[in-house]
Amino acid sequence: MSPYVLALLLFSLGLGTTMTFASSHWLLAWIGLEINTLAIIPLMAQNHHPRAVEATTKYFLIQATAAAVLLFAGTTNAWLTGQWEIQQDAHPLPVAIITLALALKLGLAPLHSWVPEVFQGLDLTTGLVLATWQKLAPLALLLQIHPPNSYLLILLGLTSTLIGGWGGLNQTQLRKILAYSSTAQLGWMVLVLQFSPSLTTLAVSVYVTTTAATFLTLKLAKATSINMLAISWAKAPALVALTPLVLLSLAGLPPMTGFMPKWLILQELSKQGLAPTATLAALTALLSLYYYLRITYTMTLTMFPNNLSGTPPWRLRTHKTTLPLACLAITTISLLPLTPAAVALVAL
Amino acid sequence: MDNNSCESSRLKCLFLSWPASPSARLLTSVLPHHQLLLPPLSPLTIPCRTKIQRDYRRPGQPIENKYPLNFNFSKGIEGIKKHFTLMKDEFFGRWVGPEGKPLIEHILEQNLVIWKFRGPESLEQWTVSSDQEIGGQSEAHLKMGRNDNTCFLHGKLSSTIPRDGETRYSGYCNMRSKTPKASFDRKKHYDWSSFNTLHLRVRGDGRPWMINIATETYFSHQKDDIYNYFLYTRGGPYWQEVKIPFSKFFLSHRGRIQDSQHPIWLDKVNTIGFTLGDKADGHFQLEVDFVAVSKDYAHTEEFAYEMYERNPKRERIE
Repeated sequence: MSPYVLALLLFSLGLGTTMTFASSHWLLAWIGLEINTLAIIPLMAQNHHPRAVEATTKYFLIQATAAAVLLFAGTTNAWLTGQWEIQQDAHPLPVAIITLALALKLGLAPLHSWVPEVFQGLDLTTGLVLATWQKLAPLALLLQIHPPNSYLLILLGLTSTLIGGWGGLNQTQLRKILAYSSTAQLGWMVLVLQFSPSLTTLAVSVYVTTTAATFLTLKLAKATSINMLAISWAKAPALVALTPLVLLSLAGLPPMTGFMPKWLILQELSKQGLAPTATLAALTALLSLYYYLRITYTMTLTMFPNNLSGTPPWRLRTHKTTLPLACLAITTISLLPLTPAAVALVAL
Repeated sequence: MDNNSCESSRLKCLFLSWPASPSARLLTSVLPHHQLLLPPLSPLTIPCRTKIQRDYRRPGQPIENKYPLNFNFSKGIEGIKKHFTLMKDEFFGRWVGPEGKPLIEHILEQNLVIWKFRGPESLEQWTVSSDQEIGGQSEAHLKMGRNDNTCFLHGKLSSTIPRDGETRYSGYCNMRSKTPKASFDRKKHYDWSSFNTLHLRVRGDGRPWMINIATETYFSHQKDDIYNYFLYTRGGPYWQEVKIPFSKFFLSHRGRIQDSQHPIWLDKVNTIGFTLGDKADGHFQLEVDFVAVSKDYAHTEEFAYEMYERNPKRERIE
């Protein structure tokens, strides 16, 4: 792709998300979401492979539908309440429709079917952008609306964690596993949204860090399937040693950073008197943990018997850029002791 | 004279009974004419191509008329048993691991035999066709080889062009595997993404065959996209083990090689086929022992064909 076009598209991606963050009018928020969608479409379809084009088409149809429903709900809200402000009190029906539209945009269960197929058709870099940057704008809108009915968000959250865990169990394609993982993590964020939006913000930031670290790891290992990870012990031993920690952080195990949001969310849910919800969420995290452990098992805990052409390369130092991965991996593994500081930061 | 009457009858059909809307045209291609008294107002539902795969229907043959339903108890019970058994296997297979195999197999597998011909029931997974569908005179037959250990495709190629006024070439025979089906006739795909080479054991007659692999597509205009590569058989009494990396397969659409090429994605493969169309009339035979896929770690090529800039801008000379 021409560097000018690439710069334009990346700038548009940033612009779209920033517009949605900064807007207080539903129309402007919708414009930001649409700019985001349109900017990422050429990035997804840039290699012209039929599967990439299929993923792009599916993504476009889903996002356009969600944006149209959002616009419709915003308009209905303006009609019923007489104002377009996002943060003002809104009529409950449009708010419910907006919640569902944003759930479709994010890929929350039960509106998650598009996520694995779309991720499978993309390369890992574009998948990374889709899994991290594209989630920010809809989450920003979700944080600002005040849903009157608490059951919808809890239902979306629990279903997402459940289906995100179950769906990823029998996958061997890594991109599909990460797609289901993204659904599960978003479920956690949405569970606590109405009780403590600052915890959702914290969960989003930790999710972005851990998911980005995972995607960059897979990109460095050039692996798209579980068995491709099996031979990476010979190619990048340090990465193979670090990846289990990154994946266990994504799973939410202490003492990694990923434990922070899960712990605080469970605490908040218990404080709100939702102990069964908290228990169910914690149990569904075990399902996700199973497939993260499976990847860890294949990559690190077993030594593939390749002693032929998968031989160790004569130089282990790679020419690829590893600085972002290094920073993200450190952030993913070691920030748990800073929990009080993080809570104070997001509570502002 | 013959041509004129054909032409006039065709024109008559065109003007008198050609329906207007695309959905009605689709309907008339499916239902016989006398059943269609009035064209429908709205498009009718068509089974989703990506989920359901009907059995191969030769072009020109009428669509199997399911209505009125022929009520056959034994067939019905057989069908119920078959589909529920498949569903049960799928359900319990998930407890074993991905694709019904333990994960350790997925991690360690380097060779996987997909088709091996060890009994007459293995022939039911294959469809044989030739240019008789378009009016040609080639013949192709598939039977079990010696000792029921191989499959034997044989026949006679004839490049006599059918006299229908529009066909210009003829003389081909093809053997194609059927799309794998899950319970209730849902489409299933082969996932060969762990492998990078096609491994065959064949015994041919020295003729050049072509291997066609068809993957799952999304858009309807891609449904005839096939990835091809050549299979040069040696002939003679000795078996030939052929290993073709998947990076060598090139894309063609309805027989025409495409300008814009891309490597084949192996996570949703539908069918594999062998075609003979070497413009040499006469008998042919191909014996296949097995068709397998394997992972060759020494083969690191991603795609064998470079894409060059087509229609480069010419510099203006002033």
